[in-house]
Amino acid sequence: MPASAASNRPEDLIGRLSYAESGAKLKALREVKNQIIGNRTKKISYVKLGAVPRIVDILAASEDDAALLIQSAAALGSFACGVDAGVRAVLDSGAYPHLVRLLSNPDPKVVDAGARSLKMIFQSKLAPKYDLLKEKNMEFFLSLLNSENENVTELAASIITHSCETSTEQKALCDAMVLPRLICLLDGSLGQRDASLDSLATILKNNSEAVSKFVSLNNGRALRAVIELTKDRYPRTRLLACVCLIAIGIASPHHMQELEIKTKLIGILIKLLEEPGRAGDEAPFTLAQLIANKEDLQKLAFGVKAVERLCNFLQKAPLTPPAKRFEGILLALAELCSKLESCRSEFLSLQALNIVLTALKHDCAEVRIAACNCIKSISRSVKNLSAGRFTSETIVAPLVQLLYDPVTSVQVAALHAISNIVVDFTNHKLVFIQNGAVKQLVQLSKSMDSKLRLNAVWALRNLAFLADRIRKDSILQELTISTLASLIYDPEPPIQEQSLALVCNLVDGGVDSIEHVFLEDGVIINAVAKQVWRATTTEVCIQGMYVFSNIATGNELHKEAVMHHLLPQAGGFTQSVIIRFLQGTESQLRTAAVWCIINLTYPESPNVLDRVARLRQAGIISQIKNMVNDPCLDVKYRVRTALEQCTFGNCSISLYLLNGVHWFGFSLAIYWETTVLLLSSDALLSRCKLAMNTLVNLREMISFHVSLFFHMLQLVKALR
Amino acid sequence: MSKKVITREEWEKRLNDVKIRKEDMNKLVMNFLVTEGYVEAAEKFRMESGTEPDIDLATITDRMAVKKAVQCGNVEDAIEKVNDLNPEILDTNPQLFFHLQQQRLIELIRNGKVEEALEFAQEELAPRGEENQTFLEELERTVALLAFEDVSNCPVGELLDISQRLKTASEVNAAILTSQSHEKDPKLPSLLKMLIWAQNQLDEKTTLLFERCQRSFCVKLRFVRHECLGVAPRPSPSCRSYGVIPGGCHGVAPRL
Repeated sequence: MPASAASNRPEDLIGRLSYAESGAKLKALREVKNQIIGNRTKKISYVKLGAVPRIVDILAASEDDAALLIQSAAALGSFACGVDAGVRAVLDSGAYPHLVRLLSNPDPKVVDAGARSLKMIFQSKLAPKYDLLKEKNMEFFLSLLNSENENVTELAASIITHSCETSTEQKALCDAMVLPRLICLLDGSLGQRDASLDSLATILKNNSEAVSKFVSLNNGRALRAVIELTKDRYPRTRLLACVCLIAIGIASPHHMQELEIKTKLIGILIKLLEEPGRAGDEAPFTLAQLIANKEDLQKLAFGVKAVERLCNFLQKAPLTPPAKRFEGILLALAELCSKLESCRSEFLSLQALNIVLTALKHDCAEVRIAACNCIKSISRSVKNLSAGRFTSETIVAPLVQLLYDPVTSVQVAALHAISNIVVDFTNHKLVFIQNGAVKQLVQLSKSMDSKLRLNAVWALRNLAFLADRIRKDSILQELTISTLASLIYDPEPPIQEQSLALVCNLVDGGVDSIEHVFLEDGVIINAVAKQVWRATTTEVCIQGMYVFSNIATGNELHKEAVMHHLLPQAGGFTQSVIIRFLQGTESQLRTAAVWCIINLTYPESPNVLDRVARLRQAGIISQIKNMVNDPCLDVKYRVRTALEQCTFGNCSISLYLLNGVHWFGFSLAIYWETTVLLLSSDALLSRCKLAMNTLVNLREMISFHVSLFFHMLQLVKALR
Repeated sequence: MSKKVITREEWEKRLNDVKIRKEDMNKLVMNFLVTEGYVEAAEKFRMESGTEPDIDLATITDRMAVKKAVQCGNVEDAIEKVNDLNPEILDTNPQLFFHLQQQRLIELIRNGKVEEALEFAQEELAPRGEENQTFLEELERTVALLAFEDVSNCPVGELLDISQRLKTASEVNAAILTSQSHEKDPKLPSLLKMLIWAQNQLDEKTTLLFERCQRSFCVKLRFVRHECLGVAPRPSPSCRSYGVIPGGCHGVAPRL
């Protein structure tokens, strides 16, 4: 029948929705519904053609025609299912109150249709928030939850999942005795059970009060029921039960202390990956959430071969696993490798890095972000970093490419990964410079987006870490002194902090490097000084003081410049900023300040006596004398050194050597400790040995160790 | 490793020690009838044995109508029926939706409607292929049917088999059952699978001195298997099955 086939064109159908008599209207409505169900493309094209408002008109005008009500509600529900544009169209056309009206229709089939459609709407993020705190709303909501109709109770549960966000709302629901009803629903139909688990997780999330209420219900049977459901035959139910238990565990850890449950949860979630569909897609996200920032759980996961199994899924998966699942697995791997070196080496030994590298070029932005996160975690491995494992062209090139990504969050994720990879002790940094990364990093550091700016500067800071002169020059040449100065003055304190840290790394390593801050009339050092004097954020002050400490390692002119900027000027402040820092509550800031004094009073520099006198005059020496028993060990030791230098600044060399031996022992101890903890870098060890052999002068050796220790500290801070 | 020897007396004694409740067996039968959709048989069985089905028998009729529509190649009709039953099923189950559309394409090709088939593949199926790599591969396989003169002899010819329709039909059946919170597979076949496993274990680890017993056990089993594991569609299911199954399993069920 070519005639009828032609009349099923979307335009004709939509026309008939408005103008046909009721029989033909119903037929057209049903046809539209059947065309759009399951079909994203059709939904979008019908939305564009304006079908939704017409269907809402039918819904509004059909008082007692059950068939029209059912078909129009079903069609609207399908528009709202899985397509954002559809949800928006349905809501904008004012369908919501009409659908709610259907819930009190005497025909149960009409009620079903209305409840299903509303449920679809509430499953979308775009749905309006249902204000549970309004008494009237809560009453209506409870009537839904306590309804006999399966679809209506499922609707009520999805209202909770969608709208319950604050602890006040959680409490209101608990007070309205919602928990016992939800527990009842756990024995209901498959849909009710899943919806109930979902809402339970929402009510219990981060709310220890709600959790203790839940746990005490029915003598703990409720909790046992949920635990039981983790073994259910339906994968989605298993997943939701896990989500619920994780929410309980996070809100009040003592209810989930049993190791066995945690191990089981990890096992169940990994096993769920074998399931096709939604449950399998969401399982790795839940796993990632479970183990996030929890080293004990990550150890457990490693114990049940989580890394190996996740990598296997990646390797076995067809050419392109569904994007969502791919993302989830990468995120779970990123969490697993975020703290444990054992996980990282397992990951690398399984050759999984190649898959992650292909994921960097994935079409879906979320997958690219997840891949970057994965590389960020893996590159926390100092051992592999220093072996230069991550600085090959195959890793660097795609990461640098992502710096040009159209999606900002991908750029940020790539910057995170790059920040870690460029922390490198060897001369692999060249790869980055060759790849034009510096140019793009500098571009991003001028971005209007503060996140991009922050992370770009962070990456530059790490790139400058332990870099040689040529590299520092090339960074500075690209960045320019004036941009660096404006970054130091950035309105965002975290960006100020990173910019100062970048300066700190740039001036580290010899007199030549220090000269950078005096270029262009000392615009950099002036900026640093201004921030140090006026900044209110401790982190900014700390980095500023480290910049001055580094400058103070230079020649007499450099040291004098530091004195000039840190001591109160005539007519300016009455008290040196150093005193304020020394009296501060933050031990790291005190350490940074004392370091600066140590470098300024370094013996054997020509004008040391004069400087000590001026520091004494400024009240700084008497201040550090009060700090010999500082509660922070680090501060305490540095204060002693500073005092010895200030008191014996002009003493004989033998005394100095004695002092040096003390220092040597101390810094060596710290150095070895840090080494064992942090790295077994062959490159560094050999460098150290070489240094030991060639440095005859004990003092040089000491200073080498001190600066090495300092680098270590920075390294620890630089790695994320 | 020596096999354990079991004498006839011992065997029978063990069998007699195991008591099975008749109601449980009836439930098992009812579960089979409901899941497989033998609505008349289920109704009769309910009246005769007093076993209440765990689902409204009226829903079986709707489900069977959908299943039958697919089995007869009326896929469009089946889709409309599923959507009337519960619009969520196809909206939230992309794989099933794709397989139904694929079946529709297969039917068009079977009926020689090449133009229509191409248009349908392009309009309806291609967007699904873009969303999912696996779907794309299946779609390519299906469209390949158009390339052959003699489709029955081509590498993808099995798509035109009746078994493809049955596969799709049972997938729809399972999805509807799940949406009704009913298990998608009857319990009986898996029980039988376990039975066969148990029998193999017995063969491996023991020697039954009573040969005749074992033989009769096998005969019964084969009979049962033929009755309920066969996937061939029977247009009019008979009530015969429920008389046989409990008897068939009775002697050996406790081994499970």
